[in-house]
Amino acid sequence: MFDFDATLPLMAVQFILLMVVLNAILFKPLTKVIEDRSTLISNSQTGAKEGLEQVNAITQQYEKALIDSRRQYQSIIAKAQAEAQKTASEQIAAAQAEAVAARETATRELAAQKVSAMAELEKQVDSLSQEIVNKLLVGV
Amino acid sequence: MPLDIEMLNFLDSPNFVSLAALEVGQHFYWHIGSLKVHGQVFLATWFVMSVLIIASLLATRNIQQIPKGMQNLMEYAMDFIRELTRNQIGEKEYRPWVPFIGTLFLFIFVCNWSGALIPWKLIHLPEGELAAPTNDINTTVALSLLVSIAYFYAGFKKKGLSYFAKYVQPTPILLPIAVLEDFTKPLSLSFRLFGNILADELVVGVLVLLVPLFVPLPVMLLGLFTSAIQALVFATLAGAYIHEALEGHGDEHEEEHA
Amino acid sequence: MDVSSASVIAAALAIGLASLGPGIGQGNASASAVEGIARQPEAEGKIRGTLLLTLAFMESLTIYGLVIALVLLFANPFVK
Repeated sequence: MFDFDATLPLMAVQFILLMVVLNAILFKPLTKVIEDRSTLISNSQTGAKEGLEQVNAITQQYEKALIDSRRQYQSIIAKAQAEAQKTASEQIAAAQAEAVAARETATRELAAQKVSAMAELEKQVDSLSQEIVNKLLVGV
Repeated sequence: MPLDIEMLNFLDSPNFVSLAALEVGQHFYWHIGSLKVHGQVFLATWFVMSVLIIASLLATRNIQQIPKGMQNLMEYAMDFIRELTRNQIGEKEYRPWVPFIGTLFLFIFVCNWSGALIPWKLIHLPEGELAAPTNDINTTVALSLLVSIAYFYAGFKKKGLSYFAKYVQPTPILLPIAVLEDFTKPLSLSFRLFGNILADELVVGVLVLLVPLFVPLPVMLLGLFTSAIQALVFATLAGAYIHEALEGHGDEHEEEHA
Repeated sequence: MDVSSASVIAAALAIGLASLGPGIGQGNASASAVEGIARQPEAEGKIRGTLLLTLAFMESLTIYGLVIALVLLFANPFVK
């Protein structure tokens, strides 16, 4: 069982031959293809990462633009509202002033008419009292 | 020199139907010049080598970016080997050692499984019997001596003669132990592999001898498992020894990757 | 007792004694591994791999005993 003979060195030589052959037909090509594949994968991974970064940048830009435009239209709305408010209040004030003025003229006219009517009435009272006096005196 | 008492030969008495015989220490000798070699080991080794080479050719005949079939299988094995080597030797220096450790692993693995899966016993040789090549002490000693040479080569290539500094590195008192380690490493490597594979075959053989049907199956499955683990252990230890030779005892600061 | 019978007894003792220590060691290692898996189930794969490797190392001690036993049975240097 433990008889060493020429099998030993011949096996060693055979093993080295096998190693050389396998290195040529198995290890080298497969190592090459495995490393090629891993570089390909890492390349496409970096590519994808770059693309993702670009997409992220574009999204950020877009969101920023969106926020800007939102702010802009809010300010426009606020301005328009303020303007409308202003116009409305101006018109209201004008209308109120007009109404006040109209009432004042009306009151003044009314007062004038009252004065004139009073004057006429007094005149008529005077003439009527004259006539009454005349009639009474005639009777006497 | 085989023992006079043939092991278990009482089972071959006429009362037993001989379904399987155990032959240990019998070899099918070939004579090359004045040298004797074990023919059955070479036959089995050539079979294993042709299996490996055919599988590799099938895998790399038409290499594609997206692997299919045989290429997929061999790439799986390749990934496993690269991972093993990287874990043992480290990210920086593992690449040149992948072929050596990978061939060790594949060769031992296919040898062990061929011994467990292929009914070699059906092929009759004039003397001895076909079995896993790792069943022969010559094969395992050859492999473990190659591992020894490999780690010496690794140490020399990296550090030159200062590689020997590691023998007296922590303290010169440990010099005998450090030298002894260089002998026990190949010894334990070869005996571990040889003993495990031989034990598997003997256990299966004895069980088949006693109960030829179904009962040996669980033991055979255990044998498959052990064979795979032994291939893994051999490759892992080879990697660990090479790593040790590359790192040495002195420069612990390089062990960051571990 | 002649050398052959002594060798057979020695072979039996070699296997039996060589399986004692590794048996205890493997039990300890497996117990710790199971404890580790129970404590950290996510590390199961790593623990199992290490456990198998260490078990193989311990197993090899028994195998050394087996090798000695086989030497005594089949390639005994003391028997002509």
